[in-house]
Amino acid sequence: MSSRIVDVNGGQFQIDVSETGSGDPLLYLHGIAGKQEGEFIAKLAASHRVIAPWIPGFGGSTGSEEIADFHDLIYLYLDLLDELDLRDLPIVGHSLGGMLAAELAAVQPDRFSKVVLIGALGLWDQDNQVMDFFTVPPSEFAEAMYADQKSEAALDIATTPQSRLPEVDPETDEGKEVIDYYVERAKSMSTAAKYLWPIPNKGLSKRLHRVTQPTLLVWGDSDGICPPVYADHFGAALSDSSKQIVAGAAHMVHVEKPGEVSASINQFLSS
Amino acid sequence: MKLEFFHLAPYRGLPEDFREKHRSVWVDVPSHLFDAKLANQYYNETLDELAYAGEMGFDGICVNEHHQNAYGIMPSPNLMASVMARQSKDVAIIVMGNSIALYDPPIRVAEEFAMLDCISGGRLVAGFPVGTSMDTTYAYGANPSTIREKYAEAEDLIIKAWTEEEMFSFDGKYTQLRYVNIWPRPMQDPHPPVWVPGAGSIETWQHCIDKDFMYAYLSYSGFKRGKTVMDGFWKVANAAGHDNPYQAGFLQLVCVGDSESEVKETYGPHIEYFFNKMLHVYPGFSDSPGYRTIDTIKAGLMAQTSTFGRAGSEEVTWDTLIEQGNVVAGTPSQVTEQLESVVKDLHIGHLMILNQIGSMPHEMAKENIRRTATEVVPNLRRIWNDKPEYVDKWWPSGAVVREGEGVAS
Repeated sequence: MSSRIVDVNGGQFQIDVSETGSGDPLLYLHGIAGKQEGEFIAKLAASHRVIAPWIPGFGGSTGSEEIADFHDLIYLYLDLLDELDLRDLPIVGHSLGGMLAAELAAVQPDRFSKVVLIGALGLWDQDNQVMDFFTVPPSEFAEAMYADQKSEAALDIATTPQSRLPEVDPETDEGKEVIDYYVERAKSMSTAAKYLWPIPNKGLSKRLHRVTQPTLLVWGDSDGICPPVYADHFGAALSDSSKQIVAGAAHMVHVEKPGEVSASINQFLSS
Repeated sequence: MKLEFFHLAPYRGLPEDFREKHRSVWVDVPSHLFDAKLANQYYNETLDELAYAGEMGFDGICVNEHHQNAYGIMPSPNLMASVMARQSKDVAIIVMGNSIALYDPPIRVAEEFAMLDCISGGRLVAGFPVGTSMDTTYAYGANPSTIREKYAEAEDLIIKAWTEEEMFSFDGKYTQLRYVNIWPRPMQDPHPPVWVPGAGSIETWQHCIDKDFMYAYLSYSGFKRGKTVMDGFWKVANAAGHDNPYQAGFLQLVCVGDSESEVKETYGPHIEYFFNKMLHVYPGFSDSPGYRTIDTIKAGLMAQTSTFGRAGSEEVTWDTLIEQGNVVAGTPSQVTEQLESVVKDLHIGHLMILNQIGSMPHEMAKENIRRTATEVVPNLRRIWNDKPEYVDKWWPSGAVVREGEGVAS
């Protein structure tokens, strides 16, 4: 996998873009936690050139402070795609990235050949609410994200210190590792909060009818962040969608079942 | 030295098993625990205690803003302050303050503070807090990642609305107003002094220095831990050539009685109620993502400054609280001696004193107020008198100045 920095808007934003694989291009947009996706992306890369930018605030991308809201983020991505000269390609988005993918496809339907939404946020069902994952205890967050609580990724979340941090001893740097971990997590979570707070409904439902290309909806059957009923809500608003519910997986369905999810996507894209 | 009486308007009627049965005193505190009859009593007693503190000799009286909680039931401190503007004489009316990022448009705050300043005859201190995570990002749904920027813009707008001589247009990122022209305007010239209550965000230090605002560190961690934060503030301040103690304030819980054992017996249960029930905030609410800036997290200051989010931690007892300096308690001379060293150690010109704490009954709170105001406060007032170069530029022009009236101990 290679990584490069792309200047957007005269250098106002520096976007960290990972690229891997060869073949037809595929745009992948990460979600609220983007770090454990290596295996999934590698599997997609077996048949595609996967282009995966980091949202400013995640990875090495900069310029987060210039983005006021989701609207600004959508236009930043349109600028980025122009910069990379990417057109007529499929777009795959997970979670927050799924919400962004749906918005981009609604703004420029002609740009994207097909759309894949994995556990996508962006809609609101009062009776089946998207979890307030910013606020739940780490153990509940882990359960919502991963079906297997014993997995390394689930344990990593479950053991995150939430609000009480050690005091750093400047002499020995004791406690610094925890602070660094927390800083990284604070950056990504506050970025996610910018677009999802306090309710992750920023009007997507008003625009979803504009997404007319074939769309695949992939959900983990035990997604505790954005329950599978949201796949039905997306399906009801889209004119050409199919749905795949993956058993034994939660919000990070593509990380938990990378083989199954990538195989479905490959099949959908090649059909 | 100025000594101000601070009131939170605590909800004193939480059940004995509150801590065991409920996860948080803030945000999702069950509404069935609220008894309007008790609130009627508490609000009126709060107002009486504020007025009484002024009469007994405090220099100012402080109220503040919190939402959806049983810790302090003043979502609108301006309502309390307006009663005080009429009911008190001479003392400063310190609203600590209005969370300016929460008001759309923020000139609402400029208007209400101007009203209070005019009603009170120029006795208002305008507090501009960011507000706690619970109040702003949860109860009021403000976006944690933009609240500080919104706050800064609101502050610019309010100050401009107070000081611009002509009507103006304001094209902000968060507020757009074609015609800004507030009526009334503040009585104080150019405007009421601005105090910024902080809970330990390091950005606030530089901001207060840049704008020449007063910085008040409000926490219940006590003076021992407060020293880390105040040292941080003074490091930034000194670097910019500021060393006037009147630019800094600190909050301290104080209990005065006849002996250490009597004080413990009288106040102990109410203080424990405060720390164990009223600070019982679910940790998920106390630190929304982005509320604390990366620099504050990196500074490793959170352990010192996490006042809230105690839910899940051990219950604390009076003895520990005294030992850690969370509460200063004892006979008038013991309290005076301790507070004098707090003031000098932290290098502050404003000490805000909390005398009505936790579940204290009205009469007990009044006794604590009376003894603090008459047996402690006069002995502390002289502290900076030997430094005439220290002028309190942050005191409202219409309020009494009692400097020099102190009795040397």
